[in-house]
Amino acid sequence: MIDLYIQKIPPAPKALQKTIHYLNIGELTKASSVAKEDLALSSYLKSIVNKPIYGFRNNVSDIPQIFGILGVSGAKQSVYNYLLTLLSPDKWSLFKLNSNSFHELQAQLSVKWKIILKHLNIIDKDIESAITLLPASIIVCDALFGEKIEDVNLLRSVNNLDFNTILMRLCKFDLFDICEEISIKWEMPENISKIIQASSGKKESSEDSINILGKWMHLLLFYELSQPIFVKAELNDFIDFNIEYVSDIYEEFAQLMDIK
Amino acid sequence: MRAVIKNGIGIFSPQGFLDGNNSSILVTFEDIEATKKLNADIILVSLKKVIFFNRNGLDIFVKLFTKIRKDKHITVGFCDYDEKKFNAIKNFYANDLNFSLFQTKEIAELFSPTYSNDKRDVLIYTDDKSQNSAIAIELHDNGHNPILAQSKQDFLNKKNNFDYVISNSILGCMGNSVATRVTGNAIIYTISTFLDAEIGNKFNIAYHNNSLNIGFKLFIFDAYKVVSMNIHALNFFSKLASYSAEYNATICFAGLSSTKFPESFKETLEDSGIIFFNQMDDILNDEKQLKELTGVTSVNTKNKRHINKATVSELPNLIDATVATIEMMTNAKALKESVNIQEVTLKNHTDMVASSIGFYGDLDGMIILVFPIDIAKKTCELLIGEETDDTDMILDTLSELVNIVGGKMKTILSDENVNINITLPRTYQKISTLLENTKGRKGVQVDLAFDGKKFLFFLTR
Repeated sequence: MIDLYIQKIPPAPKALQKTIHYLNIGELTKASSVAKEDLALSSYLKSIVNKPIYGFRNNVSDIPQIFGILGVSGAKQSVYNYLLTLLSPDKWSLFKLNSNSFHELQAQLSVKWKIILKHLNIIDKDIESAITLLPASIIVCDALFGEKIEDVNLLRSVNNLDFNTILMRLCKFDLFDICEEISIKWEMPENISKIIQASSGKKESSEDSINILGKWMHLLLFYELSQPIFVKAELNDFIDFNIEYVSDIYEEFAQLMDIK
Repeated sequence: MRAVIKNGIGIFSPQGFLDGNNSSILVTFEDIEATKKLNADIILVSLKKVIFFNRNGLDIFVKLFTKIRKDKHITVGFCDYDEKKFNAIKNFYANDLNFSLFQTKEIAELFSPTYSNDKRDVLIYTDDKSQNSAIAIELHDNGHNPILAQSKQDFLNKKNNFDYVISNSILGCMGNSVATRVTGNAIIYTISTFLDAEIGNKFNIAYHNNSLNIGFKLFIFDAYKVVSMNIHALNFFSKLASYSAEYNATICFAGLSSTKFPESFKETLEDSGIIFFNQMDDILNDEKQLKELTGVTSVNTKNKRHINKATVSELPNLIDATVATIEMMTNAKALKESVNIQEVTLKNHTDMVASSIGFYGDLDGMIILVFPIDIAKKTCELLIGEETDDTDMILDTLSELVNIVGGKMKTILSDENVNINITLPRTYQKISTLLENTKGRKGVQVDLAFDGKKFLFFLTR
């Protein structure tokens, strides 16, 4: 079933590949010209940057203007976010999500990840984009468990197992391994999948720099999944929160996010 | 969010950040109603995976506690916290702390009437002397060996020499319902305080009947905490013993001191067939006696009900529930080989284990599942995360699996407006015991194969 799922992941559309290529070489104008031609991408970008979390006073609807505001790394992050939405289902079955709430999650994670990277003094396009792959774990989870939800809920009623652990014990392959497969298929930079694996809270990286980012991402994910909209979507316990893993950065995180 | 129940303890496990905005979504009205229906002795909220909480975040759980206490009279509280969280909770609810706080789930288990009988050495030290005494008394009542440290230094000096140490825990109101657990193939009911006519209301007689029906032969009343009993309770137990005797089942009392009731009461109860033991270990640790009392070789006089049309008509649903659950948990595909109406028949039963579970309500009956040990082991791998050859653990996991099957049956049947309840599962390490227990009882036997391995499903009443 997992093999089948991975096989079914579509390759990144040509227009997106081209947009990412131009963003990688810093050609913001050329990238926005290509992006403008893809109507679905344009529409997505308009809807996401006009969310309150981005804090723009006026409605922004011109793609070159959006790219200009976001900058190269922000634009790349948004394009990757759009790429992820191509994988998301029309109708969610396991989680009570819809396209609007899923886009909200992407936006919240992206903006807050940027704040974290600024706090950590990290300026890196690839690392900034890494956050975009994190919601893939939610998409994959919904796809794999959606049809068996009643059975899985019964199992979870006698044993407090998260979806990631169930998958791992049944198939020796977890949600984050599938995210890695997606990143390979979409030719995302290698760093992205390493950070995503570390953010699972289960697989610490041997590289300290990756591990630190994995911790911040793990904590950020649970901070977001504790927001009412995502608790209502039943996302709060889809993977296990490893409190020990993030204990050394919690105070810093709480200050940064103004948690009182 | 729903509580996960194990060994009589129901645990909610929220994650991340708990505040007034999200906790009311985490625990809904339906969740509270579902919790009330659980067969639990303790309901706890684990704070192990909560990194931040404020008073508003905890309040919804405290409201849940109040409702559960009011309805079920069981122990409720928080567990799995560090010192910082413990102090925060104490500050939030300084004069209004009417729930319990247990440092860990394992410490909470020491106070559970349905958990292990193993006697544990426990060192206690808290700032509150009355709490120290309350904890010590409760632990002693539960068969443990509590020792009070005289000072903090005394506590620190001794703490490594004990099975458990209790420091940051508080006992709120404790439970007083009739709790039920299964140990081996005996069912243990825990009773406490003063026994009067109320016992008839507190005791789940439908549950007891169905346990008799699925073949349990030994019922032990854990009566250490009983203060006294009156004539109404005496009549209740006499009738229960006589009724159970029709199924060749035995009722025992453990820990009921003769000073707690008149000698004539004891004689009446003994005449009804009730056996008295000074302590639980006298029954459970005496294998020979336990084997005799669980009545392996006895023949039921009443327990010979056959399958009927109403039960058979639900066979496809019951099979579906079983197959879907086992397929999901073992990642194996099932193949149906044959269906026959007969007694349980097995040509070869080496390397097999079995479990049975009863259901009652709009429909009553019992299903028996006979597994190749490999399938039981595979289920263990999913539930405990590792391979094991520990027979007790395999049988324990088998119970969980059969519980899941029972839960699935309940869901499928309720979709058709057939409401059932399920009993605790019984497991059989030896198939010969199962065959002995089901002798003369016809039902529908479905032979299945999971990845080529034989598996038997048997439905009867």
